[in-house]
Amino acid sequence: MSEEEPLDVAASEAAWHMPVRTGRSRLAAADRRFGMLLAIPATLIVLLLVGGPSLQTFIYSFQKVSFNGPTPFVGLDNYVRVLNSDEFRESFRITTLYAAGFVLISTTLGLAFALLLNERFRGRGIARTLLIVPWAAPWLMVGIMWKWFIDADVGMLNGLLYQFGLIHDYVPYLATPNSALLATIVAAAWRQASLSGLLFLAALQTIPPDLPEAATVDGASTWQRFRYVTVPWMRPVLMVVLVTNVIFGFLQFDVIYAMTQGGPGNATTLLSILLYRQIFQFSNVGIGSAIAVILGLVAFGVGLIFVKFLYRSESVYGRTAE
Amino acid sequence: MTRLADIRPSPAQTRHRTPLSRRRIGRTVVIYVSVALFAAWVVLPLWFTAMSSISQPAEMVARPPHWIPQRPTLENFQAVFGSASKASNTSDQNARIVSALAWSLIIGISVAALNLLIGGLAGYGYSRFRFRGSRSGYVFLLVSRVVPAIAIITPFFVAFRVTGLINTPFALIFSYLLFTLPLSIWLLRSYFDALSPEIEEAAMVDGASRLRILWIIVAPLAAPGLIATGLLVFLEAWSEFFYANVLTSQLTVPPLLASYNSLQTFSWNTLAAATVLSLIPPVLIAVVFQRYVVSGLSHGALK
Repeated sequence: MSEEEPLDVAASEAAWHMPVRTGRSRLAAADRRFGMLLAIPATLIVLLLVGGPSLQTFIYSFQKVSFNGPTPFVGLDNYVRVLNSDEFRESFRITTLYAAGFVLISTTLGLAFALLLNERFRGRGIARTLLIVPWAAPWLMVGIMWKWFIDADVGMLNGLLYQFGLIHDYVPYLATPNSALLATIVAAAWRQASLSGLLFLAALQTIPPDLPEAATVDGASTWQRFRYVTVPWMRPVLMVVLVTNVIFGFLQFDVIYAMTQGGPGNATTLLSILLYRQIFQFSNVGIGSAIAVILGLVAFGVGLIFVKFLYRSESVYGRTAE
Repeated sequence: MTRLADIRPSPAQTRHRTPLSRRRIGRTVVIYVSVALFAAWVVLPLWFTAMSSISQPAEMVARPPHWIPQRPTLENFQAVFGSASKASNTSDQNARIVSALAWSLIIGISVAALNLLIGGLAGYGYSRFRFRGSRSGYVFLLVSRVVPAIAIITPFFVAFRVTGLINTPFALIFSYLLFTLPLSIWLLRSYFDALSPEIEEAAMVDGASRLRILWIIVAPLAAPGLIATGLLVFLEAWSEFFYANVLTSQLTVPPLLASYNSLQTFSWNTLAAATVLSLIPPVLIAVVFQRYVVSGLSHGALK
């Protein structure tokens, strides 16, 4: 999806379609004024709430900031210190690992759930309702539930594995670095797989029924139907879900905060946790803002692909869905 | 390949007429096993939390574990509401769950209402009219969707501290507009786009004012979109933790639950009861209004 036009206003203008009222110029002028009046308050609020703080955070990242005193500029000092610190590099590595695992698990499970719930079977309605439940649970509560669900003393997961004879003693999953990282990934993916599944299922349901039927008449096997009808149809959704999941993975905070607070050691200290600590525990606003800018740029870079992609899918879905 | 006699009215009917082949039985088994695994994945953490909330701490450590508590109790819920007879359990923290639930509700509803009003007008404006700056304005809104809220919290913290709004519901209502407004404008615009402008034009010929048309004709037609957007925004506000944790001292439910860990009399069973209470509203909303929520989600992500 990279070879074509980059995100720019001109390209989006071409895709822009709306009823244009030409030929009635007096009315059109009044329309324009009215439309602008409607749009201005919200646009200004977003400008104020997103534009202002973004700019301020950017400025902080070049300053030595204390919450009460003066804020002298220190040039690139904060960035140099951040990029040279082992803590940041390790956190960046962990964040990337975390995002990768999160994307892999939530996307795969989501797709599997959607394909399953698109089949006919008894109780499908209840199963589809179940799919929405993890998504409805707030991230923090997901973290709390999973922390105790996999707990070494009271956790049901240990009890279950123990009863099936898969483990001989209860395992403290959050006590060792690798298993803690994996556990926080699985917990977050529990919720995100739901969202992915809901989106995939919605897309599966828009496949016109005559498409797979026609393929069957033409002698396509189940696999061929999946490969040549379902997969191409799902490609735009798959891209959207993938990018959404990457962003959610890079920005995860709540689940980690509830389960490990970054530990054991620094094993689950994602960039989000690092910047929270720097700003609100150590009052290193400059350093924390530099981390925030870096994290923001990473998420933003991925997000731009997302926005660009939304423009594309708009034209695809505009024709078929509505 | 296919003989004419094999052609049946529709594949859905042939499915029942053909005799059960080994392959079909295999398919059924695979489906039901998968559904069971899926259900276990979704339900087990929730089941565990719900059962913990009605268990006594002593029963939690039983091996093999009790899947249903043998001596269920409501003590945990009493402790959460701060009315338990055991004085040690009724810490200040626990009694605050009622006020946190109320604030979460008030803030969620306020943010949703503001979004529908301000975002609805803007969504309509961007959907129907082309004006100076309409494209750049809209592209800006889109781009602002990908600025991570978590990265730009410090200026909010500083500004609210200076203005004395810190630790008030206004701080949250105000800052929550940051991540909800771009989404709701986007959602509502796509719902308005799906409505034909002809009715509005007819009403205009009849002399109705533009605002009146918006209120009397457009809003009812776009009701599903308004409901979906309102619900998504409410759920977003109900779930938000990072800002609520930094900008208030446990005013809403998520930061309050996060603070249970540091209680001297911490017990998982009490936390489980509080978690169950705070999960009921969003889960109920999502299940009851499933259709709207899913429609909103796929509009938000796919359109």
